[in-house]
Amino acid sequence: MKRRKGLYDSTFEHDSCGIGFVASIKGHKSHQHISDALTVLENMEHRGACGCESNTGDGAGIMIQTPHEFFFDECLKLGIHLPAFGKYAVGVLFFPKEKHLHDECKEVFSRSAEKLGLDILCYRTVPVNTNGIGPTALSVEPTIEHVFIACPDEIKSSDEFERKLFILKKYATHTVLNTVKKDNIGFYIASLSYKTVVYKGQLTSMQVRSYYPDLSNKRMVSAFGLVHSRFATNTFPSWRLAQPFRYIAHNGEINTLQGNLNWLKTSEHNFTSHLFTKEEIEILVPIVSNDQSDSACLDNMIELLTMTGRSLPHVLMMLIPEAWDGNEHMEATKKSFYEYHASIMEPWDGPASISFTDGRIIGATLDRNGLRPSRYCVTTDDRVIMASETGALPVDPATIIEKGRLQPGKMFVVDMELGRIISDEELKQSICSNQPYGDWLNQYKIRLEELAEPRVTFSYLTDESVLKYQKAFGYSTEDIDVILKSMALDGKEPVGSMGTDIPLAILSNEPQHLSSYFKQLFAQVTNPPIDPIRERMVMSLAAYVGNNGNLLDEKPEHCHTVALKHPILSSKELEKIRSIDTGIFQAKTLQTYFKADGKVGSLKHGLDRLCRYAEDAVHDGFEVLILSDRALDSEHASIPSLLATAAVHHHLIRKGLRGQVGIVIEAGDVWEVHHFACLLAFGATAINPYLALASIRNMKANGNLQTELSWNELRANYIKAVNDGLLKVFSKMGISTLQSYQGAQIMEIVGISQEVVDKYFSGAVSRIAGIGLDEIAKEALTKHHFAFSKNELLTDRLLVGGIYQWKRKGETHLFNPTTIHFLQHSTKTNDYSIFKKYSKEVNEQADKAVTLRSLLEFNPCKPAISIDEVEPAENIYKRFATGAMSFGSISWEAHTTIAVAMNRLGGKSNTGEGGEDEKRYTLLENGDSMRSAIKQIASARFGVTSRYLTEADELQIKMAQGAKPGEGGQLPGHKVDDWIGKTRHSTPGVGLISPPPHHDIYSIEDLAQLIFDLKNANRNARINVKLVSKAGVGTIAAGVTKAKAEVILISGHDGGTGASPLSSIRHAGLPWELGLAETHQTLLKNNLRSRVVLQADGQMKTGRDIAIAALLGAEEWGVATAALVVEGCIMMRKCHLNTCPVGVATQDPALRKRFSGNPEHIVNFFKFIVQELREIMAELGFKTVNEMIGQVEYLKIKNNTTHWKHSKIDLSPIIYKEPNTNNSTLYCSEKQDHGLENILDWKLLEKAQPAIQNNEDCKGYFKIVNTDRSTGTLLSNEITKAYGSKEMSENKIHFKFNGTAGQSFGAFATKGISLELEGDANDYFGKGLSGARLIVYPSKSSFFKPEDNIIIGNVALYGATGGEAFINGKAGERFGVRNSGANIVVEAVGDHGCEYMTGGHVIVLGETGRNFAAGMSGGIAYIYDTKSQFEAKCNKEMVELECCITQDSAIIKALLNKHYQFTGSSIAKFILSDLENQLPNFVKVFPKDYKKALARLESSTAISVHK
Amino acid sequence: MGKPTGFVEFDRALPSKRTPQERIKDYHEFVNRYTDHTLQQQASRCMNCGVPFCHNGCPLGNIIPEFNDAVYKKEWNKAFQILSSTNNFPEFTGRICPAPCESACVLGINHPPVTIEEIEKHIIEIAFENNFIQPKKIHKRTGKKVAVIGSGPAGLATAAQLNYAGHQVVVYERDDKAGGLLRYGIPDFKLEKWVVDRRIKLMEQEGIIFKYHANVGVNINVSELVKEYDAIVLAGGSTIPRDLAVKGRNLNGVHFAMHFLKQQNKRNADIDPLAMASIESNIYPTTINAQGKNVIVIGGGDTGSDCVGTSNRQQATSVIQFELLPMPPKERNYNMPWPSYPTLLKVSSSHEEGADRKWSIATKEFLGDANGNLKSIKIVDLNWTTTVDGKLGNYSEVAGSEREIPCELVLLAMGFTNPQYEGLLAQLNIELDERKNVKAGDKNYQTNIQKVFTAGDMRRGQSLVVWAISEGRECARKVDEFLSNKNSMLERKDNSLLVHLDQVVVKIP
Repeated sequence: MKRRKGLYDSTFEHDSCGIGFVASIKGHKSHQHISDALTVLENMEHRGACGCESNTGDGAGIMIQTPHEFFFDECLKLGIHLPAFGKYAVGVLFFPKEKHLHDECKEVFSRSAEKLGLDILCYRTVPVNTNGIGPTALSVEPTIEHVFIACPDEIKSSDEFERKLFILKKYATHTVLNTVKKDNIGFYIASLSYKTVVYKGQLTSMQVRSYYPDLSNKRMVSAFGLVHSRFATNTFPSWRLAQPFRYIAHNGEINTLQGNLNWLKTSEHNFTSHLFTKEEIEILVPIVSNDQSDSACLDNMIELLTMTGRSLPHVLMMLIPEAWDGNEHMEATKKSFYEYHASIMEPWDGPASISFTDGRIIGATLDRNGLRPSRYCVTTDDRVIMASETGALPVDPATIIEKGRLQPGKMFVVDMELGRIISDEELKQSICSNQPYGDWLNQYKIRLEELAEPRVTFSYLTDESVLKYQKAFGYSTEDIDVILKSMALDGKEPVGSMGTDIPLAILSNEPQHLSSYFKQLFAQVTNPPIDPIRERMVMSLAAYVGNNGNLLDEKPEHCHTVALKHPILSSKELEKIRSIDTGIFQAKTLQTYFKADGKVGSLKHGLDRLCRYAEDAVHDGFEVLILSDRALDSEHASIPSLLATAAVHHHLIRKGLRGQVGIVIEAGDVWEVHHFACLLAFGATAINPYLALASIRNMKANGNLQTELSWNELRANYIKAVNDGLLKVFSKMGISTLQSYQGAQIMEIVGISQEVVDKYFSGAVSRIAGIGLDEIAKEALTKHHFAFSKNELLTDRLLVGGIYQWKRKGETHLFNPTTIHFLQHSTKTNDYSIFKKYSKEVNEQADKAVTLRSLLEFNPCKPAISIDEVEPAENIYKRFATGAMSFGSISWEAHTTIAVAMNRLGGKSNTGEGGEDEKRYTLLENGDSMRSAIKQIASARFGVTSRYLTEADELQIKMAQGAKPGEGGQLPGHKVDDWIGKTRHSTPGVGLISPPPHHDIYSIEDLAQLIFDLKNANRNARINVKLVSKAGVGTIAAGVTKAKAEVILISGHDGGTGASPLSSIRHAGLPWELGLAETHQTLLKNNLRSRVVLQADGQMKTGRDIAIAALLGAEEWGVATAALVVEGCIMMRKCHLNTCPVGVATQDPALRKRFSGNPEHIVNFFKFIVQELREIMAELGFKTVNEMIGQVEYLKIKNNTTHWKHSKIDLSPIIYKEPNTNNSTLYCSEKQDHGLENILDWKLLEKAQPAIQNNEDCKGYFKIVNTDRSTGTLLSNEITKAYGSKEMSENKIHFKFNGTAGQSFGAFATKGISLELEGDANDYFGKGLSGARLIVYPSKSSFFKPEDNIIIGNVALYGATGGEAFINGKAGERFGVRNSGANIVVEAVGDHGCEYMTGGHVIVLGETGRNFAAGMSGGIAYIYDTKSQFEAKCNKEMVELECCITQDSAIIKALLNKHYQFTGSSIAKFILSDLENQLPNFVKVFPKDYKKALARLESSTAISVHK
Repeated sequence: MGKPTGFVEFDRALPSKRTPQERIKDYHEFVNRYTDHTLQQQASRCMNCGVPFCHNGCPLGNIIPEFNDAVYKKEWNKAFQILSSTNNFPEFTGRICPAPCESACVLGINHPPVTIEEIEKHIIEIAFENNFIQPKKIHKRTGKKVAVIGSGPAGLATAAQLNYAGHQVVVYERDDKAGGLLRYGIPDFKLEKWVVDRRIKLMEQEGIIFKYHANVGVNINVSELVKEYDAIVLAGGSTIPRDLAVKGRNLNGVHFAMHFLKQQNKRNADIDPLAMASIESNIYPTTINAQGKNVIVIGGGDTGSDCVGTSNRQQATSVIQFELLPMPPKERNYNMPWPSYPTLLKVSSSHEEGADRKWSIATKEFLGDANGNLKSIKIVDLNWTTTVDGKLGNYSEVAGSEREIPCELVLLAMGFTNPQYEGLLAQLNIELDERKNVKAGDKNYQTNIQKVFTAGDMRRGQSLVVWAISEGRECARKVDEFLSNKNSMLERKDNSLLVHLDQVVVKIP
């Protein structure tokens, strides 16, 4: 494999897309279907992307049925008489352009066919038209040929023929790969089937039709056309990554790919199938080849499982199962199906909308979360049109029978042979009853709770041995007091604040837990994190211990495994497993020790032995391996459990044995969530943390826990905390199930040698190499020695730790008593000489390196200049921003002091996610401004109104935050005082939840849409996308640049004021040095660097930090924590407790009085930093900052490092200089083209002038199509600009639209506007509604019943702060999420309705989906529940269901009157006509907190009235 | 931190004291115990800071937030374990430490700091009461012998630590009892001597041998010690008092504070204060008594205060205290920002008992009667200048302010300049630093003679008891490493033990 030089790695690439199909239900073939499908493709152009050239797309294509007549004619021209349809196959082959390679590949293909006894009838060069295709795409354009292969006479069934073709495809591909020199870059088989043909390439959606003239040939007919347009994060040319593939078009992302591939790889060894011979199987593997996209891998897997005898829908149910675990409403046979299959294989997990076809059926399915939109309609002429967006193919409304959407976990199939649509229910019912899965489970499944008592058990560890073990495994008093105690007592992971400023594991002097070298990966942009608390129903911790069996067949004993509800075993449960003997199922315990002799190679020796024993044990027929480290003694140390686990796991994978056993870990060195997550990620099936449990037990026994809870309750709490923590770890990567997380290696390793990674953590991401086995042994032995050395100290205590708190004998912190003191003192006294002492302390960490940058030094490449020649400080201040800290997390005083200081300097402060009090828009008497230039848009959209957006110089979309990437947050009710409540547009006293994902960003094209929305909402503001450093952030940044962001902030893992789980603060995300360097390199590689401003932040403290960031590629910088320290913060790390003693991070009025910050001090601080930066610039000979951006050759690795760990680190990928082949600037010098010139809103604006200028009423009428996006947003921006804090009166502007609205119809629409839509709308209808009225009803010419049909898409009215909406039809998933003030009537909604809602009213006049009101803390919903089904679908954790009282009936009546008046809703009409009788059918959904807060408000009003 | 809001709810409160009128009638300690409730409240004021400046401010590195938390939770044994892991003698520091930790307390930024010192004292006293403190059996003896010369806090700490490391320790003390200044410098009303006895007894039970009236260099032969022991630790303190070379210094009635204080301490212990003058330190041949005299104490520090308190207990007619420097500010200023240790106006308990304090005073002359007895003192007011950055500049005498004040006893409490060289140090031919302290680095505590180490005031110059203990502990570790030729397992002040273990395991090629 080619070694990387920089940080970019192609495996980080992501894509996501628009998909769709047009099909004839009856299977009637016609050219129209192809043409229509291409139209669908063309109308979703905005869902694809293009890179540095507007005419090079990321890929697009179409799959159709084999057009026999067309091919027959074409072949005739070549002198070949094609046999009948079905008797020949068509292959679509991509050959390299280079003649001899082309010939060689073709040769191989022909020979392969011949060898398999297949006759090639002819090759046909596919005509293409390269006009208008971009040079990048053309540079690697293949020669595309069709190959026609006759079906041999001896092959009787068409399925057999397909299998033969499958073998040929694999055979030819593998042979080319193995024989033709110069890899297979050009050779690719796009399709090879008698049934289907694929036309695709690295094209834009618009180019497919013209590039392939075939497609316009009227003789080309098909019963369907399935299309795909790709939005990739990169733009490296690759034709074969375009879709559709052979079976699917995939819009989504497989998060667990690495694990899935590992499991596949190991199961390949066991493959047997009655449909293939042993030799054929050998040809087929490896099933998945390297260098493919996740979607391509998924297609390979689907192909394999389909070819080996399962139906396509069956296969999809296996790979992308519904959320069945814990679903009490699921029908038993279906549940058995899923449970049975769960013991065979893990889900391929991640957001997915898949359109699939085998040529006979065509269908679509959606993952359990429903994170991708899929809309369909059925027409009177028996067509089904299905696409990511409605309206992509214009259809006469009068011909529509049904409009629907795919629901989470559901499937939709058109059987073109049977000529009908098969519902999800019918389809699954039939598949699930194919075998008696339930009986099989009853017979074979081993349930832990039903197991017999163990044969033997360990006695409890004594206090003394617990202490000794704790020492040997590296426990500190912090681990006990901070981690274990709070998990046992509260059942929760502890929370902390203020980020982290300790060294990376590889830099630390303290012996590390091995898992500290592993950083959790997380989702951002390309797929969303999940909310594991509010959306618990999609999550599963179920684990199966045992033999997976042969994937290619179905046998009852496949499910002979131990089923665990979760992977954490109590010591007794472990003993039960150890004692299992069912006659065919036993467990083997292996000791994981190595000789503690301190000799080189001892650990390696121990690992070799362990792997050998493990292999033997599998051969000896054991189904479970228990890796135990209990047996340590003075001469034998335990192998770190993570290393032992991964070593055995990968050894067994390589031997093809992994699938035959479960690996259970009995480990002393596992106590915090991250330890468990690492073990699971690297192959553990279940874990017994015996020492953590013993520690808790003994503390309880010794009375050290001060609790009434019993030991059993404490243990249950601890296990619950671990489990909840694990769910959080999976969910931050967007993974729903433990099964797919197991072995998925969702970690980046920092600081372990490539050799160790390759051997024991094979395939895991690792870019900064470091220590080897002997150094790992040394760290383990240091602890071991500590435990077993004989010393007689006055007191025998564990080490203090010092991770979560600075401690003298603990870990190094950059913010320590000395640096804090110097920093505060220097800025208060404006004394640069003291500041120099501070920066010296921070910069010169000597052998205590804390940051990666401390291992770098400047490398002057040209003569120094005088500092007077360096551009003045005033030019540089504007490049600084402060961190996104919300008003709410820090006090008003602290927030405004920073804002004033930044405004004085000309830098930018950031609102954070808490909204902004409008009084800050008025200047203070002394001319200071408290307005934050950067307005943040975070997932909860607190206070994000048209006004807020309009009052911004920069709009920052927070995709993740350094302290807890991939997680949401919660502001408890007691912190939401009147002021914060008002600023956040919520009710005081009611808790507020920030969801982990932005519900309007599940993919890169969604982000592009939000950027477009925001650009419409304020076209003068820069759009900034905040990312957190992680492996692959550069690739994501490339995608974000293509999505038209103007600034990308790469945030380090270490920042953050917000409250975060301690394990997230420490173990998620990477330092900015890595992320920034990777981003700069990747953008340059993609020729995108000059299009975007790069900003970096994360514990930047000195001018040196800034200079290094500049040289690594950041032209702007953020400083947060240091600025807080300047205004008085003393790193209390108690921000989450509201007890900040210096008034910085508190809302307590008494504590706020203690605030002593002053803008002047902050100004001094930035002056000092810039002075220091300028000194460095002079030294390096740079006159301007622009000159120095990205000049990494001015950095070198310190060469005098002798430290035993530091000297192993390889930082060369960070300072790799990516060639600048296009000679573009290394900083932003181009403007993004947002395509605002031709939007509909300009017409709206023109029409609205009388209202805006003269306050006259105005009306207008417009046609609208799905490519008209964010309608009304720019208009609202203009109104807000004109009106400011005044409001336009209601309905001053009334515009009517006809057609299908694109995404974000009415986004951020402000008061005074009414938008009336006849037709339907796509996703994000009414997003951020800010006072306007939205009305939507179906076309008057339609005859379907509005209340039964889908009329608006997913995530409607997300983050609405005010206004009204009347929707005459059904809405999709996640309706009214985070609504904080709008009043809405809708006729049915999908899953997760009103999630996180905090205010306003929602009336649903029909069914809701599941999980309604999850996390809903405010506002009221009324559900018209005539069938009494609602209660089961409601998440009642935070709400109560009540009957309506008089006040409610007034609200309902008023809103329904309007609904009827505006939409003519028949159901509203009916209810109004019979209101008294219908009222009892309304269920009132009343959040508990909100109810209390209202009562409180009422009583306080009553009191004030009384007074 | 048991209670996150403790610091908001409760104000700083010190334990009550007996009234000055009552307490000056005896020499007993007068600070009462907290009630359990108050103790818990005071401990709950600790904020368990993310950056505990107290922990940094303490020369011993006491893990203050952790023991405060244990106290709040009434986990007495745990509190004791935490405290004693860094401090051998909390019962001393809990009584007489000037508490730099409290100056560094984060709460002190804008409110009165946590009463760390009192909490410390309570922890150790509760630990004694509950018998948590038992002599530790040392199972593994190394066979190495160490002589510690001097039994002040530095010597005691060195001895205790080296004993835990398994070495046989013999402490040589020229006085009749162990403790150094703890014994005969600090008055009983601040530190009753049973507290010292209790500790010494414990150390003896743990195996340390104390030799009294053993003045090395006088009645013990230095070179024999050097032969007999594997290592020697010099912990003799900084004992030479700063003198005031003005006219009349030799008059009867002008005395060094230590002479005065030791006599009273001996009297309290029913020991003849004038005996053993040739062996012991600070034995003045005649009785010094303040009774019925006008007493002037020169020197505004802690020893000065002790002289004030003792004089009052001896029923002096009047007590006046002079200080050369101007009166310090009552609050922190620009030049002593938090968390540095500020020089602030301190009202000690002895001052509460009555004393006239005067600042910016220089002594010009002592005047005597015909018999050579002191009868008055001639002083002059000083005028101090301030530098631009607010620091103290030079002084000049205020013209015409010269005056005489009648007095019969003057006590010189102006600190100590350096260790005594004659005898021990001279015979060892030890190298001194420029301040005439024994020369040894704070990394290794080793003198120019290989097996001779030094710690405490003898090395660092006069300082606080907490520094003496800290020096003793650090020095012990160096001695242990010297003796065992490997890294010591004794606790370190900075960095964890593990960091230094790495040299003894796995040699990475």
